[in-house]
Amino acid sequence: MDTSSPSAFVNGALLGRLAGRKVRTVVQVIGSEIGSVVGKTTDDVQIFVRGSSPAPLTTYVEVIGIAESDNSIRAETWTNFGNTFDPQNFNELCKLANGEFKHLFM
Amino acid sequence: MQIVYRLIVVLNMETIVPHSETIGNPTMSAESDTESGNFPPTNRVAFNEPAFQHSVNKAPPRGVNIQSPANSTPSFRPSVQPLYQPPPSYRNHGPIMKNEAPARIIPIAALNPYQGRWAIKARVTAKGDMRRYNNAKGDGKVFSFDLLDSDGGEIRITCFNAVVDRFYDVIEVGKVYLISKGSLKPAQKNFNHLKNEWEIFLESTSTVELCPDEDGSIPRQQFSFRPISDIENAENNTILDMIGVVTSVNPSVPILRKNGMETHRRILNLKDESGKAVEVTLWGEFCNRDGRQLEEMVESAFYPVLAIKAGKVSDFSGKSVGTISSSQLFIDPDFPEAQRLRNWFDHGGKNTASSSISRDTMPGGGSRNEIRKAVSQIKEEGLGRSDKPDWVTVKATISFIKTDSFCYTACPLMIGDKQCNKKVTRTGTNMWLCDRCNQESEECDYRYLLQVQIQDHTGLTWVTAFQESGEEIMGCPAKQLYTLKYELQNDEEFAEIVRIRLFHQYLLKLKIKEESYGDEQRVKMTVVKVDKVNYTSESKYLLDLLVRSL
Ligand SMILES: [Zn+2]
Repeated sequence: MDTSSPSAFVNGALLGRLAGRKVRTVVQVIGSEIGSVVGKTTDDVQIFVRGSSPAPLTTYVEVIGIAESDNSIRAETWTNFGNTFDPQNFNELCKLANGEFKHLFM
Repeated sequence: MQIVYRLIVVLNMETIVPHSETIGNPTMSAESDTESGNFPPTNRVAFNEPAFQHSVNKAPPRGVNIQSPANSTPSFRPSVQPLYQPPPSYRNHGPIMKNEAPARIIPIAALNPYQGRWAIKARVTAKGDMRRYNNAKGDGKVFSFDLLDSDGGEIRITCFNAVVDRFYDVIEVGKVYLISKGSLKPAQKNFNHLKNEWEIFLESTSTVELCPDEDGSIPRQQFSFRPISDIENAENNTILDMIGVVTSVNPSVPILRKNGMETHRRILNLKDESGKAVEVTLWGEFCNRDGRQLEEMVESAFYPVLAIKAGKVSDFSGKSVGTISSSQLFIDPDFPEAQRLRNWFDHGGKNTASSSISRDTMPGGGSRNEIRKAVSQIKEEGLGRSDKPDWVTVKATISFIKTDSFCYTACPLMIGDKQCNKKVTRTGTNMWLCDRCNQESEECDYRYLLQVQIQDHTGLTWVTAFQESGEEIMGCPAKQLYTLKYELQNDEEFAEIVRIRLFHQYLLKLKIKEESYGDEQRVKMTVVKVDKVNYTSESKYLLDLLVRSL
């Protein structure tokens, strides 16, 4: 496991706090523009994921990249997470990983 | 403009409540004297406020205003007094009246700690068991019962020690009593959910008289049933009454309480005309006594109506209702509501889908009723050693399947509506003989009797899987595997089928019971349900554990 550049689990609310950092999130794809994908985070925030996405994308996609602002990520890695992902569980994971269990995460 | 004068002359008033809250919302007419300015019509008067004294009381029920001839007070002594002058103290009337006149019957709703003498006439709606206690003051015993009167007032009565001996055998549920004297204490709201802020402690001078004549004006029970759809929006810990048709009854499971005591829990499902269903959790004694009766009824395909008096709403994972010590259950009661529900259920309600307001934390497998254990806990906790089997769920991976014998030849004959399934043996005439049916059949059935090794992060163990769970584990009917191995003798394909069934993770519901084989005691574990792990619901389950441990 590469620990040199850890990526923090984020949802929409946490994204803005980590601008400039490497982050990891899962979005529900709701549209795409040239050079970016419009996604909904697990806490219902609309964000832009920049970079060249692989095609086709499933309903849920995990992206790892640099947080640019509170509503955009420059993605380096895209992973299709399928169509039956549970956003609530992921959202709780983000909260715990940045809250009570922060010490367990990098 | 018409001016309406209202003049009320009150004769022969008697103070029952020297300090009382204002009841209702009295207003003064503009024409009344200047003192009306002192009276705040909309404010409630505190108990300890000496300035205002109102003894507003409901009239006693017809014909029960007991006035003794010994009462020396003239019958219609006019006692017109200026408004709000403190009324004369009752005690000043002297000892004659105090000791000899029977107290007036007042509604339960009018009882308060500041009354000297009172009597209430009420029906016993519930009677608690006698409990012994031990505290700093020593040993003691206590019992309580609940009363309901014709005005719908309810109150709990508690007796201690010697008073218990006097009244415990006298009090019977459903009977009407005339009760007098006793002290009023604030109700202990955590145990007492009656609509009354007081409860009565009977004393040595208290009297409890059985009213032999049935008083039809006092209902036997007072319910305010809430439809299940209402419970969905009820707050956590709300105490309420409900009624529904029992559609399923889970087995009773032992539960370890936080204080280390073991109790039992049983989950039922109820539905009603609101189109909703709810889980009801029976605890302790309810689980065995009423729970077993309900289970038997549902097993024989009769779905009883269940009314619950004083159930407690829980919002742990959706909404559900649980029993508390003061709850009462009524199975197929003779209420109009029960008859209406029965009618609804029998004429279509049975087959209408109801959405449950109780969310299963684990829709993928098991439910809140399950007791999750790790494999090593089965041995460590000595599961299966008590009288009744233990039912637990393990999340485990199948690591080995015994294949030298995995099924048996079963009797296909029907006994009633069930297949016999006893082991049959081949006869000399190529038939299959069943010892139980004492009959031969041309064909036999092949049913799984599968020995499987399961493993989790704590250890491994052997379990037995019969037909349905065996099929779930092997992914095909026993007959198919039997044919492959013994008739086609295709060992290669057989081995391949077995191999691909290994190393899958399941939620396995196990029945664990120690059985004796001759002198030997062996803990037998049977797989009663096999569910593939649903990662969404499993994550939810783990998340729930995690958050609750915070
Ligand atoms: Zn048979």
